[in-house]
Amino acid sequence: MSKAKAKESKDRKIKVVVSKVGLDGHDRGAKVVSSLLKEAGMEVVYLGMYQMPEDIISAAIDEDADVIGPSFLSGEHLVYTPLIVEEMKKAGLDDVLLVVGGVVPPEDIPFLKEMGVDEVFSAGSLTETFVAYIRNNVRQ
Amino acid sequence: MKEITIEEWAQKVKENDRRAAAKLISAIERKEKIARDVLKHLFVPVGKSIVLGVTGSPGAGKSSLVSCLIGNYRKRGRTVGVIAVDPSSPFTGGAFLGDRLRMQVHGRDKGVYIRSMASRGYLGGLARGVVDAIRVMEAMGYDVVIVETVGTGQDEVDVARLVQTCILVLTPTMGDDIQAMKAGIMEIAQIAVLNKADMPGKEKALLDLEVAMRMRHIEEGGWSIPLVATVATTGEGIDEVVNQVDKHQAHMRKGDGLKRFAFQRAEKESSVLIKDEIERVIFDHIRGTGLRRKYLERMVAGEIDPYTAVEEVMSLFIKKSTKNV
Amino acid sequence: MKKATEKAVPVAQEKDVDWDKYLAAYYEKPKSSLTWSGLDVQEVYTPQDLPPEKYKEIGDPGDYPFTRGIHRNMFRGRYWTRREVIGMGSPQDTHDRSKVLVDEGGSGLNTIADIPYEMGLDADHPWAQHEVGLTGVCITNMYDMETMTANIPLDKVSWSLITASAVAPVTMAQYVAVARKRGYDLKKLRGTIQNDPVHFRYCGFRPASPLDLSIKMGADVIEYCTKEIPQWYYTTVNLYDLREQGVTAPQEVALGFLIARLYIDEMIRRGYKVDDFAQRFAFYVSCHIDIFEEVSKIRAARRIWAKLMREHYGAQKVSSQQFRFAVHTAGCSLPPQQPLNNIVRIAYQALAAVLGGVQSLHCCSYDEPICLPTESGHTQALRTQQILAYETGVTNVSDPLGGSYYVENLTNKLEEEIYKVMAEVEEVGGMYEAIRTEWLDRVFEKEALTRQKEIDDRDKILVGVNMFNTEQETTTPLGVQRIDRDSVKRQIEMVKKLKKERNQTLWKEKILALRAAAERRENVIPYMIEATEAGGTTGEMMGAVRLAFGHSYDPMEIIEAPF
Repeated sequence: MSKAKAKESKDRKIKVVVSKVGLDGHDRGAKVVSSLLKEAGMEVVYLGMYQMPEDIISAAIDEDADVIGPSFLSGEHLVYTPLIVEEMKKAGLDDVLLVVGGVVPPEDIPFLKEMGVDEVFSAGSLTETFVAYIRNNVRQ
Repeated sequence: MKEITIEEWAQKVKENDRRAAAKLISAIERKEKIARDVLKHLFVPVGKSIVLGVTGSPGAGKSSLVSCLIGNYRKRGRTVGVIAVDPSSPFTGGAFLGDRLRMQVHGRDKGVYIRSMASRGYLGGLARGVVDAIRVMEAMGYDVVIVETVGTGQDEVDVARLVQTCILVLTPTMGDDIQAMKAGIMEIAQIAVLNKADMPGKEKALLDLEVAMRMRHIEEGGWSIPLVATVATTGEGIDEVVNQVDKHQAHMRKGDGLKRFAFQRAEKESSVLIKDEIERVIFDHIRGTGLRRKYLERMVAGEIDPYTAVEEVMSLFIKKSTKNV
Repeated sequence: MKKATEKAVPVAQEKDVDWDKYLAAYYEKPKSSLTWSGLDVQEVYTPQDLPPEKYKEIGDPGDYPFTRGIHRNMFRGRYWTRREVIGMGSPQDTHDRSKVLVDEGGSGLNTIADIPYEMGLDADHPWAQHEVGLTGVCITNMYDMETMTANIPLDKVSWSLITASAVAPVTMAQYVAVARKRGYDLKKLRGTIQNDPVHFRYCGFRPASPLDLSIKMGADVIEYCTKEIPQWYYTTVNLYDLREQGVTAPQEVALGFLIARLYIDEMIRRGYKVDDFAQRFAFYVSCHIDIFEEVSKIRAARRIWAKLMREHYGAQKVSSQQFRFAVHTAGCSLPPQQPLNNIVRIAYQALAAVLGGVQSLHCCSYDEPICLPTESGHTQALRTQQILAYETGVTNVSDPLGGSYYVENLTNKLEEEIYKVMAEVEEVGGMYEAIRTEWLDRVFEKEALTRQKEIDDRDKILVGVNMFNTEQETTTPLGVQRIDRDSVKRQIEMVKKLKKERNQTLWKEKILALRAAAERRENVIPYMIEATEAGGTTGEMMGAVRLAFGHSYDPMEIIEAPF
């Protein structure tokens, strides 16, 4: 399939699907991140709360997302991230970035990365850091 | 996705391969040439799917209404494709595509396909992109295709004109805005919906709208715009909206109605296409020649007026292009 | 002693110091002189800033309008209650941690439920399985409550049950059922239930807290406790969670008070007088990092509440006019970066709470932005309180900042700002409309974004985050708390077993009676007590009431009613 020359241009925008996962509805961070990505010139599809891994992946397929950004509060990252990775593999989304955000102990980051997560940004991350990461690592 | 031929790509879309369709819509959004090549293989007769437009001011509850419409059509056994357009920020170029949020309850339903699109703020391009996306969803075989757009700006009005049945969503809180939108109703809408009808001011708004409707001249055998009160948060009035859509569809498909619609759409589409194409060809030719800069500098220096400059460029260009042909 | 010359000074390896940076640091002055909430303050305050007519409103501690505190002798009468919030895994896990904190000198129990419970779902709900016990304790029936409270004298301890959503009546019913079973006189039970379902809509629990049900359930708890458990604080209006959305100090108080009024107005609609119930109202307040602003906020809140209750609602009883509050130090102020710094932040916030005359205090643990509190994190938080209480001398004098030109002036300013926010809400048609039309959602969204930008743009400094952020942690200093997944799995099995083995006829009869009572718009708690005694579960009892109010049985709309 054709490849755009530049990652971002007037016609080529980075598209990000941001979502809460499972029953946890602490969505302040996810909403703020969505707004900040928009201000950084990206197109953000915010799925909201109570999304299961298959809902997120199905939306990412329909929207042809470049980045999937699940947001976690406390401990659910260990439960749901493997399921998200599995769904992504099943759907063949191997060129889509998986960037996890929220409350994640530093101890878990190597484990998540080994599993297939591209990067983790915990609470307190500055906008400039995660925007730069996405810009530099998103598929061509 | 692996490298595939144009024909294979088109075939996958026809077989309702969601990923192939999603990639095609992205290519359309990026104005890639390959998108046109695939689209050439996806022509379906106008009228195969019901194509609805849902338009209205921000905050009118369009997305919730669309979500209700999806649910209602699904109950009636019809499959639904949705194109939800949100504005891009004129400052950053980014967009918050928040419509899907309200429709995500249907996210798991395989009979529903939702695609968000940012308006991306370029002239004329939105209408074309949306029309192409509608074509993709028609080719995928959806019975109903719903396009949701914010009802402001020429681009959006163009989109409203390209659907078969356009629903304008208003609310009681709009007050004076309703007055301002009367012209718009006559211009584009086939069905008017007063959403959030559980809010104060409902009666007055309904009256205002009815007066506006009555003032409209209806041709012999023409369509008179029905007014439906809804509460999208509870689903009240949705059945009636869908019934009115069916009525309008029947009306439109009566006699040679559909043919006339197809003609109008083809006319509109081709004029948009031609305009786009001319613009593209001209800019492609002068790009990198330094011509544009030279004229701009002369204009700044007061050596030439903009009208003469454009005439000169055009004459140069037309000669050149004729020669090329 | 070693000679100094023994070890060569490693001149070659000395790191180059950026002396220009040093010089800049030496002369550096604060970038901003605004308070955390953005209020402009002067360089210095003098008697001119405290006009005599305002001085009358200050009064003495223990006197109306209680600006300086609700008791004259304050902490000389009794220390504040040192409670740490606990809730994790199975009821047994939570019981065990509670015992640890009582052993370590905690003076109140404070348990928080897991997300499925607050959502009104049983542990065996298909969506709950991954999250049972993850962020709080799992309680599906009265037997879980029994396990959690086992061997703890319910007539001696003051138990704070943090159920905030519309599930609060279920919690009350489960607690009362256990107390009755163990033979306690309900009149002797002391404790608190959060019971503020309206605010919980903004904490991710909207499906569990439809607006109509939120007000009904909130008022049911107040009504039931007024009659049956008079020593219970039956609502703790949660200003804290609002603040955590990112709003300012004045917004925190104004929005919280307006939500409190929804319950008061409902009780009055039911025919009660404000003095019948208001004396057991309590509040949950945030203490953020700006010490003087937080103290002034608390003082202003006390004054406004007293006036509101006396002048607007005509409360005669002094206790109905008193603003009683617990403080939870601001979780949202704690970054996961350089987490040990959080101990210092929490200590300042706790100091502000105590200087403001707090009744009960929860200190966050430093590891909260990383995981659920570890045992060492929990104990450390309790130690922070104990150092404050036993070492610093802050308990000696009531309202020690009273009379400070600055603090009194800032208190007045906060009062004005709080009234301004209240007026804004009035303009959109009052709190009910502000909620219904999602005006309040937009306020929270806007403020949360502003807070993040302040950090991004370094308008607000967060040490270790946007300044001095050189270190990058790969481990958490004292480890990470994990939930025992096996105990959680057992919990799910137990619910399934209970549902199979209970007396189905009796259970059905009691659940249907509950639904019928809810349809008649009666107080649901007496029916819930009987239903829980007959083996009815949290999800089933909530579902019965939801159905009676025209909502889906399951807030997630996945499962159907089993009756």
